[in-house]
Amino acid sequence: MRDAGQPALDWTAAPERGSTGMLHLMLWIVRRLGWRAGHLLLYPITAYFLASSPRQRRAVRGYLCRALGRRAGMADLFRLYFAFASTILDRVFLAAGEVQDYRIEIEGLDALQALLAEGRGCLLFGAHFGSFEALRAVADAGCPVEVAVLMHEANAARVKAFFDAIGGSRRAAAIIPLGAPEAMLRVRECLEGGGLVGLLADRRTGGEKVARVPFLGSHAPLPAGPHLLAGMLGAPVVLGFGIWRGPRHYLVRFEPFAESVTFGRKDREAVVAALADRYAARLEALCRAYPYNWFNFHDFWEEGR
Amino acid sequence: MAEMRPEEMEVARLIVSALSLETRPEDIAPEAPLFNAGLGLDSIDALELALAISKKYGVQLRSDDERNHRIFASLRSLTAHIEKNRVR
Repeated sequence: MRDAGQPALDWTAAPERGSTGMLHLMLWIVRRLGWRAGHLLLYPITAYFLASSPRQRRAVRGYLCRALGRRAGMADLFRLYFAFASTILDRVFLAAGEVQDYRIEIEGLDALQALLAEGRGCLLFGAHFGSFEALRAVADAGCPVEVAVLMHEANAARVKAFFDAIGGSRRAAAIIPLGAPEAMLRVRECLEGGGLVGLLADRRTGGEKVARVPFLGSHAPLPAGPHLLAGMLGAPVVLGFGIWRGPRHYLVRFEPFAESVTFGRKDREAVVAALADRYAARLEALCRAYPYNWFNFHDFWEEGR
Repeated sequence: MAEMRPEEMEVARLIVSALSLETRPEDIAPEAPLFNAGLGLDSIDALELALAISKKYGVQLRSDDERNHRIFASLRSLTAHIEKNRVR
């Protein structure tokens, strides 16, 4: 399962670089002119990003063909890029807790709260699908337990700077940067205190253990790490997605995923593979239902290598 | 290559068995980094290792320990930390 020796994956820099620049532009615009002006500017911004990223465009088109089950045209690409830009605009408001003008439908929160009430902590697996910020706005609001988010180091620094800039200090403190050896020890400690730890379970980093599982028509390499973590810590897992439905309209959905994962030395790989498989199946169902919420702008199936 | 002490050999064996590594315990360089470069362990391996160390030696590794950087630096430093704090 160990998949070392892969070249450094170039996408780790690509989408976030674009979105950081966009994020700063958005911040500047909405601070002066408000959401509505920001929303209008999304059209030229989307067109610009669409025109200036041929490699990402190719990857997204490949995804869309799979999810839609037909040829994806420019209009489809625009819809997806526009949805992505919208979630970045909304991030500014959602992260600051300014949700009064938003319509946020919520499904499955009761199940998450019931699990948290048991006090043994909970892992929340998301994906680069829709808005993690919308998800967090719901999961965080009035949450009686500690909430922490695991993320890649480079992003963690930027996200922290962003939260510092808009004044969300409590959120900034709750980021656990991946990469340091003690990152998972922090996850364990947060869970032991009954806390909620969120992470995006769809993207791998170079060298990480992977599980190749069926996803939208062929096998894709998904990170095994999140499922290994769940098994090693014996924590329940809930899936969570902040689906963008339209301007200032989200559907935040939580789905119980695994009650308590356990494995022994012998069946460990099989259990992890089965979990990754099931996670991919849930993700696939969402991609079919809400195809324009997929925000992985790289060659997800690694067909081009 | 630096000599390995028996205590280090024991921890090396624990690392190899807990993480199912294909490396032989005696081939782990005592002063080489365990994580990233060197042995190439990641943070999930660190958790796995911490669980195994606590089971075998009763030493709890915590994330808020400021010495973590040093403790996890190499087989030698990890072994030294275990020897100083072991309860069994």
